[in-house]
Amino acid sequence: MRKLVLAFMLLTSPALAQVTAHSTNPLEGKADAIEAGRALFGKMNCAGCHAYDLTGGMGPDLTDGSWQYGAKPGEVYHTIAEGTPRGMPAWKDKMTVDEIWQVVAYIQSKKQ
Amino acid sequence: MRKILLVATLFCGAAIPANSQGDGKPNAAPSGGSFTGATANFAPNAPAGQWTQQARDYANTRYSPLTQINKQNVGRLRMAWSFSDGQMYGHEGAPLVVGDTMYLVTPFPNIAYALDLSKPGAPIKWVFQPNPDPRAIGKACCDKVLRGWSYADGKLIYNLLDNNTVAVDAKTGKEVWRVKLDDVTKGPTMTMSAFVVGERVYVANSGGEMGINGWFQALDVKDGHTVWKAFNNGPDQGMLIGSDFKPHYPWMVGKDLGVTTWPGEMWKQGASAAWGWVSYDPDLNAIYYGTSNPGPRTPSQRPGLNLWSAAVFARDATTGAAKWAYQFTPHDEWDYDGVNENVLIEIPWKGARRKVLVHFNRNGFAYTIDRTNGEVLVAKAFGHQNWAKEIDLKTGMPIVNEAAHPYVGKKVENICPPDIGVKNWNPSAFSPRTGLLYAGVFNSCMDLTNHIVQYIPSSPYDGMEMQRHAGPGGHWGEFIAWDPVQGKRMWSIKENLYVWSGAVVTGSDLVFYGTMDGWFRAVDARSGKVLWSQKLGSGITAAPMTFVGPDKRQYVAVYAGIGGGAGVLRREKGFMPGGNTLYVFSVDGMGIGNGTTQLISQAGAAAPVSVPPAAHN
Repeated sequence: MRKLVLAFMLLTSPALAQVTAHSTNPLEGKADAIEAGRALFGKMNCAGCHAYDLTGGMGPDLTDGSWQYGAKPGEVYHTIAEGTPRGMPAWKDKMTVDEIWQVVAYIQSKKQ
Repeated sequence: MRKILLVATLFCGAAIPANSQGDGKPNAAPSGGSFTGATANFAPNAPAGQWTQQARDYANTRYSPLTQINKQNVGRLRMAWSFSDGQMYGHEGAPLVVGDTMYLVTPFPNIAYALDLSKPGAPIKWVFQPNPDPRAIGKACCDKVLRGWSYADGKLIYNLLDNNTVAVDAKTGKEVWRVKLDDVTKGPTMTMSAFVVGERVYVANSGGEMGINGWFQALDVKDGHTVWKAFNNGPDQGMLIGSDFKPHYPWMVGKDLGVTTWPGEMWKQGASAAWGWVSYDPDLNAIYYGTSNPGPRTPSQRPGLNLWSAAVFARDATTGAAKWAYQFTPHDEWDYDGVNENVLIEIPWKGARRKVLVHFNRNGFAYTIDRTNGEVLVAKAFGHQNWAKEIDLKTGMPIVNEAAHPYVGKKVENICPPDIGVKNWNPSAFSPRTGLLYAGVFNSCMDLTNHIVQYIPSSPYDGMEMQRHAGPGGHWGEFIAWDPVQGKRMWSIKENLYVWSGAVVTGSDLVFYGTMDGWFRAVDARSGKVLWSQKLGSGITAAPMTFVGPDKRQYVAVYAGIGGGAGVLRREKGFMPGGNTLYVFSVDGMGIGNGTTQLISQAGAAAPVSVPPAAHN
């Protein structure tokens, strides 16, 4: 029960509510966050769509500067958290706010 | 007037040899006989000029008896007309022609078009927009494709990417029925061509990389209801495996092998989707289809044979009961699948005739299998591979090269072929005149690093990280002629990139295929000599076909719209931008309404032309 309450608090926390399209990534450029993001990118099956080198395959290339749902860190965060109408699942129930920012940091580190 | 008659006589006389409009049966070879003695049953024996299903016949030969376009005039092929459908995902299917109408279906969003071939420029008769669920886009592994569509019972029948099968009235373009067969939010999609025999429509799901539970089912052609459904993994009961099931090899005999050859309950996410082609033998009342890779692609997570992934099934077409199966790549470690087409032919074998199927597997071996019992008669490499020393014909098992085993977290270099295979789903063709099969093939290898993956519904269940590179010689592709009796190549044509188009072979011994760098070619089926090439607006990953129009003229048609799995080479030199144009060719580019001084035309009306009407009919 404690776990459930904690999960509920996390999901409805101000931190999540405060992420907007204009938000900057608090973890951008931080080596440990980028490494954590790299691990999550594999663990959460992101690589299955976007490839282990992020150049795409089943899903879009994340290194080419072309963003269907917005290039800003807050927009990328939102895309991961909420998913897309074109079938990318929503990850907000499977990753914490920090974890999503770690994945965004990893993606930002790979920009060409 | 004399000139007009002369033109008409010359055209008709030169272009239409006697006996060219036959009854679907092959002509006697005018010069040169069959190299192998192989033949086929061309049921349902559609009129020679028509093309009512993707492979033209149940046997999946893609053989057309037409001979108007021949070795003498093929060099004069020019575009008669073209049609752009506006959709930019990969185009993989062949047009169908029934009577005076051509039927096309686009990749997602799977819009169907009927074109009126009797009018100048083949104007649109009707358009059908099914509006599939866009969430399917993110679930389809290898582009948002559709490999084909079928015509039967006055209906155009095809699969939508979002797991619905739909039937459209061929005359009006109105939906007749639509059935939902799976839940797109969990990962499956549908990309294979519906295949119709009599009152049954055979369909299956895709999703080998999504941890799906693969199935295959027969629908009723009248209303789409499910007549029978067989899973490709799991307990015998759900797989319709019963007392009639008699695999040829002992290691495939046993109770519930679709469960016991997996750890725990991993079979439930074991994929084994049947996203390729279906064949039918009317004499045996049997259908044949193959299953995909096991899930996840990382093999160390699923020790065991992983039956019935990477296998071919023979089933009773009426009841679905499994007759036999054969697993090409036990415990598939490289994503070699088993979905490629099974071409049903008869061959001379040790003094008798054998009913066989020929299957070019992604693993690089071409199998000639007795289709009555699943015995492998021939299994020879048809391209470059190094993962197996050979296929042991006594056991049916590959003898795996130890250096080809992949590992988690460790790169293993130069495994050939890569996941894409020596050939993918792109269908081959068979000619009863030469006794040979014709196929586009790949020449490449991979450096493979595996990763442990967890099953998260609706996301990929994969784990393979690859760098693919060209094989020996540096060319990525070839087009080959194959002897299915001896198991050897007769000739090959090297191409810069994978040859990912289908093929069609005709009664005049011409084979047509396309390349990823946009060349559409006609080749002498006997010698492999290229007789004609035309550069198109995009790479070709679709199957060509040929038909006779209402003007009694033979045409050859192919989509140029690169995509699908071919996208793995998108960074290679020569890879073309996407496209969506159907090109239709005829001798001298002649067609209804075409002419040298055409000025303007109204939709559906003949254009003013300088060429005498007689030459158009």
